[in-house]
Amino acid sequence: MSINPIPIIILAPLIGGFLAWLINIKGIREIIGVISAAIPLGYLAYLYQQLSKETINFTLSLSGFEFNFLLYKLGWFFATIAALVGFAAILGMTSTSKDGYEWLFALMSLTGVLGVFLAFDMVSFFIFWEIMTFGSFMMVLKYNKKASLKYFLLSLFGAYSMLIAIGILYASVGDLSFAGMSVASMMLTKWKLALIYLLFLIAFGVKAGAFPLHVWAPDAYSETNQSYTAMFSGALSKAGVYGFILIYILIGSKLAYDFGAFRSTTKFGYIIAFIGGLTIVVGGLLAALQEDIRKLFAYSSISQLGYVLIGIGVGTALSIQAALFHTLSHALFKGLFFLIVATIVYRTGKTEFKDMGGLAEKMPITFAMAFVAILSLAGIPPLVGFASKWLLFEAVISQNLPILGGFIFFGSAIGFVYLIRFTYAVWFGQRPTDLDDTKDAPLPLAIAMGILALLNVVFGIAPGLVAKELNSILGKEVIKGDLFILDLGFGKYNALLLTIWLVIGIVIAGIVYFMGAKVRRVPVTDTYQSGNPVTMEYNLTIRRNFFLPLKETLAFWLRMSFDRLYQDVGKSVEDLAETLRYYVYNGNVQSYAWYLAIVLVVLALWGW
Amino acid sequence: MVDWRLFEPLFNYARKKSLWIVAFCTGCGGIEMPPLMTSRYDLERFGMMPNPAPRMADLFLITGYVTPKTLKRIIITYELQPDPKYVLAHGSCPLNGGIYWDSYNAIKHLDRYIPVDVAIAGCMPRPEAVMDGIKKIMEMIENGTADGWKRYKENYEWYKKNQDELFGEGWREKEARRWIPWLKKK
Amino acid sequence: MLEIALRAFLILIYATFVGFMFMGIIRIVTARIHRRVGPPIYQPILDTIKLLSKKSNITHGLIYDFGIIYALGATILALMFIPLGNISILRAYGDLILITFLLEIPMLGIMFAAMSSGNPWAGLGAQRALLTLLAIQVPLGFAIIALAQFYGTFSTYEIVMAQQAGGWSIFHLPLFLAAIAYDIVLQAMFGKEPFDIMIAPGEISLGPMVEFGGKHMGMLQIQHAIALFAETLFFANIFLGGGSILVLLIKQVAVLMIAIFIGAIFPRFTIDQAAKFYWKWPTIIAALGAILASL
Repeated sequence: MSINPIPIIILAPLIGGFLAWLINIKGIREIIGVISAAIPLGYLAYLYQQLSKETINFTLSLSGFEFNFLLYKLGWFFATIAALVGFAAILGMTSTSKDGYEWLFALMSLTGVLGVFLAFDMVSFFIFWEIMTFGSFMMVLKYNKKASLKYFLLSLFGAYSMLIAIGILYASVGDLSFAGMSVASMMLTKWKLALIYLLFLIAFGVKAGAFPLHVWAPDAYSETNQSYTAMFSGALSKAGVYGFILIYILIGSKLAYDFGAFRSTTKFGYIIAFIGGLTIVVGGLLAALQEDIRKLFAYSSISQLGYVLIGIGVGTALSIQAALFHTLSHALFKGLFFLIVATIVYRTGKTEFKDMGGLAEKMPITFAMAFVAILSLAGIPPLVGFASKWLLFEAVISQNLPILGGFIFFGSAIGFVYLIRFTYAVWFGQRPTDLDDTKDAPLPLAIAMGILALLNVVFGIAPGLVAKELNSILGKEVIKGDLFILDLGFGKYNALLLTIWLVIGIVIAGIVYFMGAKVRRVPVTDTYQSGNPVTMEYNLTIRRNFFLPLKETLAFWLRMSFDRLYQDVGKSVEDLAETLRYYVYNGNVQSYAWYLAIVLVVLALWGW
Repeated sequence: MVDWRLFEPLFNYARKKSLWIVAFCTGCGGIEMPPLMTSRYDLERFGMMPNPAPRMADLFLITGYVTPKTLKRIIITYELQPDPKYVLAHGSCPLNGGIYWDSYNAIKHLDRYIPVDVAIAGCMPRPEAVMDGIKKIMEMIENGTADGWKRYKENYEWYKKNQDELFGEGWREKEARRWIPWLKKK
Repeated sequence: MLEIALRAFLILIYATFVGFMFMGIIRIVTARIHRRVGPPIYQPILDTIKLLSKKSNITHGLIYDFGIIYALGATILALMFIPLGNISILRAYGDLILITFLLEIPMLGIMFAAMSSGNPWAGLGAQRALLTLLAIQVPLGFAIIALAQFYGTFSTYEIVMAQQAGGWSIFHLPLFLAAIAYDIVLQAMFGKEPFDIMIAPGEISLGPMVEFGGKHMGMLQIQHAIALFAETLFFANIFLGGGSILVLLIKQVAVLMIAIFIGAIFPRFTIDQAAKFYWKWPTIIAALGAILASL
């Protein structure tokens, strides 16, 4: 084969986007967009066989600079996730997009993210990183200026950090390719290394939405085309994850050598993992308290990426694999969730929980998809969310890191909490009368959701498919077992057996159920309200402030920390106090999280 | 599917031995319930249990006088209960008005609105009398004569007519809407 | 194949029966603490027969039925993974994390069914149940972590084997702390006082259960029986050394008795009090256990 596949994979979406923007005829631009998003996916799938034998590289010389690209196993894994979720999102966009502008920038950011995963030197990595940021920024800009500026400023902050880090690396190494850098990083001094590490942490933490830098994500994720958010959260945030892995590849061994070990992991890794743990808690708690369906999932996306950071931070082969697995499941269920949100917003035109309810009867297909997504995110076996979460639990706990284990246990429970809030407020209860003629998902969205839901189930029942791939990425057999069994030596998970027994259990329960007398369908108004009759005119379902007790529980800590802060800073420093009030007011749960963080730090020191 | 008539004696025994009560205290007889449920008389010996949700309850105790306002709730709660369900009227008031025989705002004959299986006379009946009534309803359940729920189904038109005569047509909807302005104001 | 089916059937029958007996024991012992006579021990079985034989049932839609079926099915599934003497089927795959998750998911089914009824009491109950779940998850997690770190394995069966060689878990200090925390968590998993705010009968009409009647409630009774059996069995296995079926039964009853005694003498916590309580003492105890175990 003479043509190198890498430029086709990377540039096909961009070219398609330009064409769609230029032609801008409804119908044609959709076809062009979908095809151009399908090309990378198809090509990457086609190259799978070839990659098991060799890597593919591509070099472009342009005005003195060399741009290196390499398609290898790890990059392929990430790029395929991005292409898959990107394809589903683009499919969904055929229903929800309004004009050619969206097609151009959505596909441009897909090009950017694919380029990031295939780049093999710092310059091309940075360029595609910026293309990705720019595309997504323009997508947000169209919907909300303030949110886009917040996103842009933080991204800029991250990009400058990365640029400085690259500059320092280049100054001391004189080589920009990944291969050269990882060798030459051994020559860096300790403080330079620490600086580079910190800058990379900021740069990638912004994109991944790690705890102190996550503030852009809820606004940006919610204030854009919701189909696009499936890609935004499912694919673009993975660039941050990939960046954290790059830290390992580029300067990991030197960092581990210079800064030493913390218990069974490295110190620098433990910092990443701890940030990930805080991200889980803060993101999850904030998600539970949101009143907007898009914001809820934005925070939940942040929270779920915390798991990935924990896995990467722990840094054993097993935990990296678990993190990669969770990256895949995150892309699958979060992509699915945002497509569901897109369907709901598209069909009802409403985004807040207080305006919704009882949609399960009107949108059965979407509800079925939501059911799969909920079970997957909540980590219910046998879906993919459980397989990856289980690996992560085992990977972290087996390394004797109890505090991180506590974080992920808390995270799995908070997942239940916010998902039930979504389920109750959107799908069940009394339906507002203005939603009575809501239709089900349009066909492209239904297909896109179907693809992701199917993969959620398939990879859940056969996690060995992914495990085999992960083993070949790391080049050693960490996760043993076959197609259905994950065997770690100290723990075993058999997804097929579990599915079979779940079916048997449900059959037994079904027999008991069908032996009873027939059921009579009653309307939602025929419920017990202390003997009062109910009418559809007044909605009794709890929509606003569903988790008020949680808010109250956390508000207590807010007052405590607020008082202490206030006393410490003193009333005389007006501006500083204003700033503090702004922060305390802005993220009331975060101040609680800080409190929690301090407690956990103390605990960590205690159990040194 | 399966002919369950064969097991009907077992079911009747279970129904008799596991009467769950709706905790719906309508009148002054409600105060007789705590001694019945606690250590002095301990109705749990017979498998009875107070139950706040009518969906899973069997025995409906009308403990005392009934006003039109409570009667609406009684009817709604009664209809929520799954068959078979039993009603035990407590004291003279549901029977004939009792001391409220000439009151403008008390229901004189409860069985015109919902079927009553067993009525206990007295003002107020002592817990012993209530236990006697419960024993009576248990016997009736076992030999299948506690069929108020069947009568309610068969003669629904008659009961409906009586209810509508008292409250007016469409009283459920009217009652449901009555609270909306008050709720909206909150 | 046939042998496995037979064993599964026996386990199921045994677990359901013992679970019902446990429910009867709870009612009798509570009655005796109140100085009452109490119902016969087989009372829950009569209740269930009565509920299943109701002549009319209602439904609020597909999820309302499926949630209940799913809850019972998932409880049966969880039961099969927990070691039960020599006759357990899937104990080779009885992973600690897996069982912890499996013991939680029946609740999700119940919540789905309850919420689909649209009753606000059910919504309120679901909210409280979930916040309780969130509250117990932290000490529960630390207790599980302590176990896994102490024994270096996640297999429940291997933990049981290790205990038979080296003494019960609760005789080691880190795991003793974990066991205390887990036992407090168990109180909420059983839905006993002081953590039964989610089903608070007098206040929110049984919360999630308010709309269930007839066969739905009957199935929930069976589910509750099996879950009671499975939860006590899990505790007896991982902390009290396991053993043969009879030995396990004695240990299970002991675990149950502690829960009943606590439940009978304590009033109810509100949900924020419960959350604060769980995030304070049990968490500190369990975290201490986990840290000691990891040293």
